[in-house]
Amino acid sequence: MKIAGEYVFNGPREQVWELVRDPEVLATALPGTQSLNPVSENEYEGEMHVRVGPVAGVFSGRVVASDEVPPESYTLTVEGKGAPGFAKGTGHVQLIDQGDGTTLMKYEGEVQIGGRIASVGQRLMDSASKSMIRQGLEALNKALEARVAAKSGGQEVEYKPPSEAEFAAAVAKDMAGEVLLSSRLIWIAVAVVIVIVIVAVILIGRGG
Amino acid sequence: MTEKYVGQRMTRTEDPRLLTGQALFVDDVEIPGMLHAAFLRSDYAHARLRSIDVSAARNRPGVVAVYTAEDMEDAWKPCPPLVIPPPTVKGVLFHARTQVPLVKDKVRLLGEPLAVVIAESRYIAEDALEDIVVDLEPLEAVVDLEKALEPGAPLVHDDLDSNLAAHLIQKKGDYAAAREKADVVIKRRIVIDRCAAGAMENRGIVAYWDEKSQQLTIWDTTQAPIPIRNGLAGMFGLSSHQVRVIAPFVGGGFGPKVMMFYPEEVLLTWATLQLGRPIKWIEDRRENFLATTQERGQVHDAEIALTSDGRILGVSHTFIHDTGAYDPYGLTIPLNTQSHAMSAYDVPNYYSELKVAFTNKMIVTPVRGAGRPQGIFLMERLLDVAAKELGIDRVEIRKRNFIPPDAFPYNHEIIDQAFAALVFDSGNYLAGLEKAAAMIGYDQFIKEEQPRLRAEGRHVGIGIVSFVETTGVGPYEGARITVETDGKISAATGVGTQGQGHFTSFAQVIADQLGVSPRDIRLVTGDTSEFHWGTGTFASRGSVVAANAIHAAAKAVRTKILKLASKVLEAPEEELELVDNQVRVADIPHQSISLGELAVMANPLRGAVEPGTEPGLEATAYYGPQYGATASGSHAMIIEVDPETMMVEIKRYVTVEDCGTMLNPLIVEGQVHGGVALGIGNSYYEQLIYDENGQLLNASLADYLIPTASEVPRIEVGHEETRSPLNELGSKGAGEAGCIPVPALFAQALEDALADYDIEILEAPMSPNKLFALLQGKEKE
Repeated sequence: MKIAGEYVFNGPREQVWELVRDPEVLATALPGTQSLNPVSENEYEGEMHVRVGPVAGVFSGRVVASDEVPPESYTLTVEGKGAPGFAKGTGHVQLIDQGDGTTLMKYEGEVQIGGRIASVGQRLMDSASKSMIRQGLEALNKALEARVAAKSGGQEVEYKPPSEAEFAAAVAKDMAGEVLLSSRLIWIAVAVVIVIVIVAVILIGRGG
Repeated sequence: MTEKYVGQRMTRTEDPRLLTGQALFVDDVEIPGMLHAAFLRSDYAHARLRSIDVSAARNRPGVVAVYTAEDMEDAWKPCPPLVIPPPTVKGVLFHARTQVPLVKDKVRLLGEPLAVVIAESRYIAEDALEDIVVDLEPLEAVVDLEKALEPGAPLVHDDLDSNLAAHLIQKKGDYAAAREKADVVIKRRIVIDRCAAGAMENRGIVAYWDEKSQQLTIWDTTQAPIPIRNGLAGMFGLSSHQVRVIAPFVGGGFGPKVMMFYPEEVLLTWATLQLGRPIKWIEDRRENFLATTQERGQVHDAEIALTSDGRILGVSHTFIHDTGAYDPYGLTIPLNTQSHAMSAYDVPNYYSELKVAFTNKMIVTPVRGAGRPQGIFLMERLLDVAAKELGIDRVEIRKRNFIPPDAFPYNHEIIDQAFAALVFDSGNYLAGLEKAAAMIGYDQFIKEEQPRLRAEGRHVGIGIVSFVETTGVGPYEGARITVETDGKISAATGVGTQGQGHFTSFAQVIADQLGVSPRDIRLVTGDTSEFHWGTGTFASRGSVVAANAIHAAAKAVRTKILKLASKVLEAPEEELELVDNQVRVADIPHQSISLGELAVMANPLRGAVEPGTEPGLEATAYYGPQYGATASGSHAMIIEVDPETMMVEIKRYVTVEDCGTMLNPLIVEGQVHGGVALGIGNSYYEQLIYDENGQLLNASLADYLIPTASEVPRIEVGHEETRSPLNELGSKGAGEAGCIPVPALFAQALEDALADYDIEILEAPMSPNKLFALLQGKEKE
């Protein structure tokens, strides 16, 4: 599966760079990340709870950053596996200073997916992964905005990362929106059901 | 005989039990102390197994055992091949590589089992799978069947030089010479991809070794209980009389359930022998996609040579058949393709070159149709292209080439899947096609209705194709029939039953011989303790091979009844008749004796049974055909295509089937309906999509589209009855017929509906997406 996209951050490039290289912030930006620990300067190990369609489970894996050109670009290599299957991917991230205090992020990469997540979740994979990336970047941007505000105002601005439930609901809503653009009314019902089910499962999981 | 049951549209005697939930399926088997198995399956299609650590899983509460290949020690060995390659063809190359119970060194297909957990419940067993730590080194996967044979391709089996599993050439006449003389030669590339069988009931096994009685009992959703019994007994050093395999009611077989031995069958048997406790495993739907065999992947480079008036001079095709990671089923499927690519036509010259490729995909074994749909698709498509090129009507070009009714037995001069000469025993192909054309109103539709609809801007097309089906191949089946002392009849045969209505149609055969009602007959199928000689349910052979064995056994019992009754009633046998559960003197109806009383007399408690006679009114008989009976038929349909969404509506669907003597036309029609439904799936909805790494992308019924009631139209069934001269009942098989011509028919009808786009459909399955792409391609031209 190929992944490519762009995102504009409301902050200067150096700060975006710091942010995306900070494992703690990254961990909060993709809720479901249960841990992300540096094993060396450019290598992290962690666990992430992933849900695509009917498939859910914990992935454990490694993230390696390489070819770093601060604050312009780097390459991320991700390898993870768990009960839902495995994923292996390489992505190239580029940060472009737009000159107006914003930063354009361009990313492209290729991911190989296998196991249950590929065979059962395939239909939802494309939109789910796009949406997860978008939601993750939104969260990062909010964290960035908080940092920028803190710097300029000289005071702490509270940044509250999204909870796993909020994140999942946002992903589902996002995916439903995408589906709606191209399909029929019945999908509204399907999308609503997906959102309800995901939220319910998470709530039940937490309650239990 | 006052009433004749064979040929009657009797409703099925087994249905009340099935419809009220009283029939036994494997998952209904509950035994005290029963354990449950779950399998750890590879997430990679091709990988080297570096290590596997099951210690955490073993320590989970409720887990009884966890086994890997290493734990099996000497019991670990590749399963024996089912079918050997044809010994009668010269120069045949065949590398037998068979499936293993658990991966030892290398994973060769997605979902191949790495370990099995046996636990107090399936829940615990599934949870314990997640405790297992596996280190797999991914290898480049072999997925595309043409790339598989290219030099330098990764090897599925490291001990072979290439992925070529088999190579075989079959010839009739001299195709090259025929091609020289031809007015027109048409060359096309035909691509057919994989489908799943999609039985409603997934596979399931309960295995129970009872240490005290030294008996192994296995309930298995198999189509071939007797070979399973024989094989498992052999594998584990037991006498075949210590092993009882029961195939109870099975919710659909369609071929893959005959593939023995599945790793699960071997493992559950081995595990119960270790543990002495009953173990159950029921396949889940995703496992069914990954662990149950599939069929149909073939690529053909095909040619047909004709005269200008549309007479076939020869057919040639070179093709690659995808056998998946192993080839336990030998060459059955591609041999079927080879023997159906000439179909119902008088083809004087034929060249067929087969290459079989190993790939990192699920093992290929027959799925209803079993290579025949590919052969028929090839021939019918070539004829359609030829008809268009030569300006001959589709029906007319077929009529000009049919094997005439007086040419039977017709020898095609190659060998078939049973390694016998491909001889068609009988048929009347022209009559079948004409009847189908008349039923659907072919001429009227083409001349009047279609022009009117086209003028309205509608895309409505008609298709009409013919096919043959070799059925009822050997080696043999048997049956035992007993008159009980209450006058009821017990019968047993070795074939398993998966919904074919055996309990009714076989009973009809017996009833006619013994003068009883089919409802007085208790029939057992698929239980090796009831009958333990036989092969299985496949190749549309139940109504041919098993039914004729039953017929022979019933006749033998009838002979015994008449002999004894003749003494008791003091009347010559010729004057006796069997009516209403009694034997009576035809002219003196009150001079009679019931079958029950006669059965008591045949097994006396005192007195002496004459030397050289057997007690009881019981007989066992066997039937094995010299070669298969050839069924045939024609299908026609009218289809409307929405050129915006590419969705189709089948407006009418007509079939004419010739399966010889119909034991029960209602059951034949049911078989045809089911076959057509499967064929529609194979034509336009179903396709197993593997990515370049061998990942199956649509392993769920949400993504893999099996036709539902809304896609399957009302099917009108007409009949021709050309009795098979090979057996006494005159029957031919009907189990697979319904699905065989459908992809060819669909392609032709779609082309006709979209005539203004002038497309050519050379692949199956099609789909709305593929049709859209074809039309897009045409618009760009």
